[in-house]
Amino acid sequence: MSVSPVGTFATNPRLAAIAAWVSTGARLVLGGVFLVAGGLKVIDPQSSVAAVRAYRLLPSSLVTIVGWGLPFAEIALGVLLLAGVATRLVAVASAVFLLVFIAAVASAAARGLSIDCGCFGGGGDVAPGQTAYGTEIVRDVGLLLLAVWLVWHPRSRLTLDRFSSERDVIRESP
Amino acid sequence: MNSPKNLNARERARLAAEQAAAHRRDQRILISVVVAFLVVVVAGGITFQAWRTSRSPSAAPSAIASASPVTITNGRPIPLGSPDAPVTITLYEDFHCPHCADFEEEFGPTITQAQETGVARVDLYPMAFIDEGSITAANAMACAAEAGFGQAYYLALFANHTLQWSDPQLIDLATKVVGSPPSETFQTCVKRRAHADFVTSINAAADQNHVAQTPTMLINGKDVAIESLTPESLKTMITDAAQK
Repeated sequence: MSVSPVGTFATNPRLAAIAAWVSTGARLVLGGVFLVAGGLKVIDPQSSVAAVRAYRLLPSSLVTIVGWGLPFAEIALGVLLLAGVATRLVAVASAVFLLVFIAAVASAAARGLSIDCGCFGGGGDVAPGQTAYGTEIVRDVGLLLLAVWLVWHPRSRLTLDRFSSERDVIRESP
Repeated sequence: MNSPKNLNARERARLAAEQAAAHRRDQRILISVVVAFLVVVVAGGITFQAWRTSRSPSAAPSAIASASPVTITNGRPIPLGSPDAPVTITLYEDFHCPHCADFEEEFGPTITQAQETGVARVDLYPMAFIDEGSITAANAMACAAEAGFGQAYYLALFANHTLQWSDPQLIDLATKVVGSPPSETFQTCVKRRAHADFVTSINAAADQNHVAQTPTMLINGKDVAIESLTPESLKTMITDAAQK
């Protein structure tokens, strides 16, 4: 029987159990943050669009669509993470989102813009002394690490994910 | 079935292949379901926001709908309220700035009351820096003040701040404020962006007055710290300013 690619600690049940709970924590934290961040932005579409515009990265035709759509994508990822559905796939998507966020904030900092990242609603231009790029990037890197952990070890407890990832285990058990 | 000892190597290989195929199929289904879920949520969300910002405005909060028409001067604020009022409340706001909408919700009634009792007058700098709707709304605000329903229009703009402010929405709002379709002059003023230069000049004036954020409020020229303000303390400030 081939060893399932999911669950890197398959040879050591004790480590596997610990890792599963770590993954559960990572899922809940990452999912919760996405859900809250998306929810706060959905309430106020105007400022969400303004926050995207403030990065001065997208053409105006795309700014509105991204400003309206991105918060819903965050909510969807958050829900999937909390539910524990297709965790590896969703973790990959989350990592991509976070890399884009980090790149956007870093580019704003590099170009000398004075904006708020708008990560949890709000956003847009701020007074030159009031930027917090360092904190924002550190926070996003922390979340990125959680996403990378989940890509590596997606199997966790308290999930709806039996459908795929645990299937082999169930069949392989004597 | 699940007793490997009784199975020969060929059967085991066949089972493994079947199992792998089933697993791959499940994976494909799962990926499709997840991608479909993401697409539906995002597309639905965009549609929802499009509807939310393009629907017609709701009824305006009650305010004195008519006032004497004012003259719009480039670089000068729009006066709302009695020119003889002892207190001048200067406001720098963008009609699409979320904090301004919060500010209006919390302090609007106190300020409106001071205006209606003749204690205070608002000098409004309708700034426009957030988006296209900030500009169209600021322009329409100037048109409304010129037509004599500036005060009520101002409150109605903030009461509907999630709208994108297309021309039909701005005219519709005026209809709800005045109670009948607004004058041809007002409609043309909105559609032609008659006060576009004024809006630009207000942004420049705000810059010149070192206004770095909205909302910014001054009472008789003195900067008010909004963060620590409550409706009660604002009321006291206005009363105190009136007695000086």
